[in-house]
Amino acid sequence: MKPGIRIAIDKIFTVVAGASVVCLCLVLAGVLGPMLWRGGSAVVFKGTIEFRKMQLVLFGRGDEDKIAAESRQAEIARAKIYSTIEKFKGGIDPENLIEKARQIYRQFGNDLRQTNMSAEDVAELRSVTRNIRDRLESAFASSNTVEVNESLAYVLNFKDDPRFKNTSAAGLIGLAEQYSKDIHGINLAERQRYYQELRQVEEILVELLGPAPGSATPALMMNRFGATRWDLAQKLLGQLCWYEEWIKQGPGQPMVRRLTPRSQRFAGTEMEGLFTYIQQNLPEMLKPRPTFYWQYFTDDSTPGHYFGGVGPEILGTLLLTLLAMLFVVPFGVISAAYLVECASDNLVIRIIRMSINTLAGVPSIVFGLFGLAFFVLFFLPLFGAPSKGCILAASMTLAVLTLPVMIRASEEAIRGVPQTYKEASLALGASRFRTFVKVTLPAALPGILTGVILSLSRVAGETAPVLFTGAVALGPMPKSIFDPTRTLSYGSYDMAVGDKLAAMVPHNQFGMVVTLVLLILCLNAVAIVLRSRVFKKLAGH
Amino acid sequence: MRGFLTLHLGRTALFLITCTSVLAVFLIFLFVMRESLPFLAKFSIKEFLTSTAWYPEAVTPKFGTLALLVGSGYVTIVSIIFAVPVGILAAVFLSDIVSMKIRNIIKPIIEILAAIPSVAYGFFAVMVLAPWMQQKFGFSTGTNALNASLVLAVMALPTIISVSEDSISAIGRELREASYSCGATRMETIFKVVIPAAHSGIIAGIVLGMMRAIGETMVVWMASGNAAQIPQPWWDLSQSVRTLTATIAGDMGETEKGSPHYRALFAAGLLLLVITLCLNMVSEYFLIRAKKAGGKH
Repeated sequence: MKPGIRIAIDKIFTVVAGASVVCLCLVLAGVLGPMLWRGGSAVVFKGTIEFRKMQLVLFGRGDEDKIAAESRQAEIARAKIYSTIEKFKGGIDPENLIEKARQIYRQFGNDLRQTNMSAEDVAELRSVTRNIRDRLESAFASSNTVEVNESLAYVLNFKDDPRFKNTSAAGLIGLAEQYSKDIHGINLAERQRYYQELRQVEEILVELLGPAPGSATPALMMNRFGATRWDLAQKLLGQLCWYEEWIKQGPGQPMVRRLTPRSQRFAGTEMEGLFTYIQQNLPEMLKPRPTFYWQYFTDDSTPGHYFGGVGPEILGTLLLTLLAMLFVVPFGVISAAYLVECASDNLVIRIIRMSINTLAGVPSIVFGLFGLAFFVLFFLPLFGAPSKGCILAASMTLAVLTLPVMIRASEEAIRGVPQTYKEASLALGASRFRTFVKVTLPAALPGILTGVILSLSRVAGETAPVLFTGAVALGPMPKSIFDPTRTLSYGSYDMAVGDKLAAMVPHNQFGMVVTLVLLILCLNAVAIVLRSRVFKKLAGH
Repeated sequence: MRGFLTLHLGRTALFLITCTSVLAVFLIFLFVMRESLPFLAKFSIKEFLTSTAWYPEAVTPKFGTLALLVGSGYVTIVSIIFAVPVGILAAVFLSDIVSMKIRNIIKPIIEILAAIPSVAYGFFAVMVLAPWMQQKFGFSTGTNALNASLVLAVMALPTIISVSEDSISAIGRELREASYSCGATRMETIFKVVIPAAHSGIIAGIVLGMMRAIGETMVVWMASGNAAQIPQPWWDLSQSVRTLTATIAGDMGETEKGSPHYRALFAAGLLLLVITLCLNMVSEYFLIRAKKAGGKH
């Protein structure tokens, strides 16, 4: 082969190899980027007045008077929506109108009994009124414009009838007048459709602005507030202003989504202008403001993960990891010390080393099974503790899992201490134990600490081992180490897959996992810095 | 005499503590077996390993793990196919091509990739990768074998890179210089001299990467779709599969303690343990060979 071609191939290879590393960096950016971006919005976002109200109610946070004043302003801006809907509803809600007509008729019947008319007159008047009521009802129920107009005309004939003047039956005629005004411009054939779509609009409005004024306080906490975040509000605004349909194109073909403006769906009615009004005045109705919700990391969450933060999860994770460290560090350091200082290369030591390697290779889910079979079902009952998943069992499982990591890191740190240190100490007449405790261990401490931090970060992220040994998705704060706890790792899993409610709050889903990732990355950053300093220091000798 | 006594007492105490790891391995085997043996005694082991019917909650429960085994192997092998070329190239790039300075920048990136917890990778697979795949490629489901394999590949990469890089770096300068002095280019040197010399370490790295992939639970549980089936046709990566680990994780919460289903899951765990133990021995063998090869040069 010509040298030129060989060199060119060599260059291409260099580029390809470089590309693989660039690819790695891109993967890291691709994994962390979207998660950090979307998770960050759990803490930094534009909070609305509904968010501030929620914070006040749930956590007693914020200035009560200020929030009340703000929410009054918001309500003024919102008032038009509710009045428009009420008016529109008057025209299209037949059951409501029919009920009203019947009430008036009953009232009129009662009134007649009080008067001193003859029985015949009363009977006649009654039958006339019943006729009016029936025609009115049929007008309300019908969707045929001609029929409706006929019925209404019949009713309105009695407008100047002296028998009804100043009686409660005049209400029926008033109702007819109002109705003929209301249905002006409404295509009655589409009343059923209007009725359904209005229900939809009202539902979205409840999500957007909270329960309508005057309606009962919802039982569920999550329904008591509107959109707490501006991004959520805009999503809802999109749903409000655009009507979504899935249209079948043909057999075997996928359905196609079609969006039509809601104002078009309500064309010709007073609802038509409402959507533009909401679009233009949404900021006044919700009063969004940049919010830095640092309490996300300390708040409990209610209900489910809908409102609030990840406080219990962080606490649980810290509890688990620190307790696991408490178990594993002494064992790890002593094992490492023995392997470095005392052990010779014989069969027993080889078995020990093989065990450590085997332990490192055991899948994490098998540790979970082991934790369940040994700690939960065997070990805890041995000491009279209840045989259920708890912090103690989970942290002991995690301690076994991280033992090889700890041993290897400590071993490396102890091995890294220069031989001259030990020799100087031994030459002064110190015993080997004394030399280890006073000279080797302090010199190896930063390295051991690095190992501790790395195992901490590994333990904090493990999910499979705590699945059956002490993690729960939701539950009260643990009172003792014999209670199960919520953890960031299991929480992340549950919010992504298990929890249906969490799918409605994507910022909280991402917030949970980002909290976990950040916690672990911080621990790793500390370990990396610590290690580089140790290297520099040891390189000096 | 007193000194002698304390020395030996102290040594024995240290030795006993060091034996915790042996005890732990022993206990893991013991207790996983203790929970699974009643199952293995009652049901046929042959059916357990060769049947694809996994219907643990049926009236006549069937516990065939073949589909799960194939699922585990499937995602592992596909992920290794993705990870090995990238991993070896990256290892070569770090050890032979770039300067120390750039290497010190890239190493932490690989460490971060290794440090991200598996549940976060699983979360990424479900929440970001799956919808993207479904939209981009028109798959019927975003949680499928391809998704799980890709994410597992990313998770196996740091192991493969760091172990291979160690062994490639351990090959001395002399070999490389001899090759260069014969007029070989860098690529020729790497492919014809360095990689053959370091092959034990590279294989060990790949096996360790496989162990990470096959033992991984959260990612496959969340991203593989959890359908206990053998993909038909076998190369169709867009189908859902189900692995041993995901089955254990997913089913254990719903079983009654001591039921056949519960014991079958422990038996699946035992199977997993045996597989990883074998892989561990393979990697150990190659690591020892790599150490010897590194020492020779």
